[in-house]
Parts: sequence; C-alpha cells; structure tokens
Amino acid sequence: MAEKPPCTCGSNEPKRIIFPCAGQANVGQLTNLAAIQLTEEGYGSIACASLLATGAENLVANAMNADEVVVIDGCPMLCAKKIAGAQGIAAGQHVVVTELGITKGPSKSYTNGDIEKIVAACWKGEGRKNDTTKPAGKTGGKGNGCGCGGSC
Amino acid sequence: MTKIEILGTGCAKCKRLFANAEQAVKDLKITAEIVKVEDLAEIVGRGVMLPPALFINSEIRAEGRIPDVNEIRKMLTG
Repeated sequence: MAEKPPCTCGSNEPKRIIFPCAGQANVGQLTNLAAIQLTEEGYGSIACASLLATGAENLVANAMNADEVVVIDGCPMLCAKKIAGAQGIAAGQHVVVTELGITKGPSKSYTNGDIEKIVAACWKGEGRKNDTTKPAGKTGGKGNGCGCGGSC
Repeated sequence: MTKIEILGTGCAKCKRLFANAEQAVKDLKITAEIVKVEDLAEIVGRGVMLPPALFINSEIRAEGRIPDVNEIRKMLTG
C-alpha cells in the first residue's frame, strides 16, 4: 500500500510574520511557545519583538512586506502591539492571551492545552474577527500569497 | 442542507480547517453536514493537488491554504 504523502499545504498560506510579546509572565511565555508552534505548522514566521523595538531596519522592512503581521500579546499591557505600532507597523491580527480565558500569573505553569488555545485562535483568525477585508500588514497585503497576484 | 467537505490526508492543517469550518457553521447557526475526505484517490480524483481543500456544496472554495472562520462564514453566506 502506498504511503500517504505529507500534506503540501502551507505553500499557499499568506506570508505572515508573528511577533510574540515573550513577556516574563506565564501568558508572555505562552505567546512565545504558540508562535513557535505556529511557525512549525507553516502559519508564519516567528520574529523578535525585542529586536523590532530597537528599530532594526531589516526586520521593520520584513514586517512591512509581509502579507499579514500577527501580534500575540500575553496581557492587556499590549507591549508587542505598542512596539509594532511605534515602528509604524499595524497588526493584521492581534491576539491577547488573557482574552482567551488564560489567567496571568502568579504561577509560571502552563499546559499544552493553553498553547493549543492560542494557536487555534490564530488559525481561526480570532484576532481579526471584525475585519471583513483580506489579511493585511502595513503594505495592505499582497493577495493570498499564492503567487496568483491576488486574483484568487 | 449545505454540505462542507474538507479534503486532506489528515495533517494538522486539515484538522485546523475542519475546526474552522465547524466554528463557522456554529457561528451562523445553520445546519450543515461537514465531512472529512481523507482518501487520497478521492482527493486526487477531485482535482485537488494541494491539500487541504475546502468544498462547499461540491464546489471548490479554497485549496492549499486554511481560510479562517470569518472567511468561511462569508463563503457560506455569500
């Protein structure tokens, strides 16, 4: 019996860049873990919010050229969103972990279910639920990233 | 009744697409049949070369990517 080929899905995903806040609290650490899993699943590429805060030109340019910027904040301090905003980068999708029912501190512990909740929220597009337009970074997006030029 | 089919060999992304479709149906409070199609021969036979694919009422609506809940809601209402 022929072996099932792996899904090739992902090549048509929009080019996304993911900025987790990576704060010290449990919810901040969860943003990092979720961003890593999202990267492994082909949703986008994790990038460093701290480096973005320094104004690193290459990273700012990458974010501006992305089809969608995804910002994951742990708590309502919204540090990552503010960092992105300070560089003129608007989040196409913004997820806040505490809004998903995960409590901030004092414990540093977390479960795989917590990570899954954040990852699933991103895949579902919960961070842009009220947005009726296509995913867009600062550049306004470039179609669906499938190479068709935006006609699909 | 609306029929939604998710064509894919069962990887994580196929499961995410299925979950998104389920959520969209739930949000819209409509009755729909959601079916997983994991048989490779059937997937290829229906012209899908880049799974996962989303079919609504036998019409292909997305291939090789995962529409989010909002987009699937629009597909179902549009």
